[in-house]
Amino acid sequence: MVDDLRKYLNHLLEKVNGLHCILITDRDGVPVVRAVTERAPQLALRPNFISTFGMATDQASKLGLGRNKTIISMYSSYQVIQMNKLPLIITFIGSDNCNTGHILSLESQIEPFLKDLAAVVADAP
Amino acid sequence: MEKDLDKVVDEIMATPNVSGCLVADHQGLCLAAKGTAHVDSAGIIVAISEQACKIQPNLKPPTVCLEADKKLCLIQRHGTITGAIYKQKTEMKF
Repeated sequence: MVDDLRKYLNHLLEKVNGLHCILITDRDGVPVVRAVTERAPQLALRPNFISTFGMATDQASKLGLGRNKTIISMYSSYQVIQMNKLPLIITFIGSDNCNTGHILSLESQIEPFLKDLAAVVADAP
Repeated sequence: MEKDLDKVVDEIMATPNVSGCLVADHQGLCLAAKGTAHVDSAGIIVAISEQACKIQPNLKPPTVCLEADKKLCLIQRHGTITGAIYKQKTEMKF
């Protein structure tokens, strides 16, 4: 199943110009499935970077606007889009001029696969 | 802030047979959406116009027309802004 999902993520990577990687991790940033191109910044793939989102989304949820779903971080040469699918986190890393709206629309295409993955992660000790 | 844009969108919506209108920026983020146009389509609409521009990069961006049984979707890019108009089909008169 994971191989199929990885293939599917690689297929999505090709569909969006400038998208460097798609990572599905648990809340600690430990990768469950990842599709990465060679252009992806290695530092951003590390668990200590990805797990920061868990804290950020918790804090953002306290702003009185409801539960935080997505955080988009724009950097000088990259953009990082992280989605709250706890216990899973989806991270997209793309170039700064990449189509953010297109990446956001990938959510609905990845969502059907998350149910089984979330069950696996939730069961893990 | 977006009063002027809303006015333009309202004008477009008042045109006969127009069922929806969407405006997005170069990053595929929705600036305005009304009627049958869905906010989530912004990214894909911009991606379609970007791909269409690659066909003849030296010319000005083309208008893309997506045709379905009963509806049309016209996509036009202007600088960094992309607009999409959803229309009901009437005897091939755009």
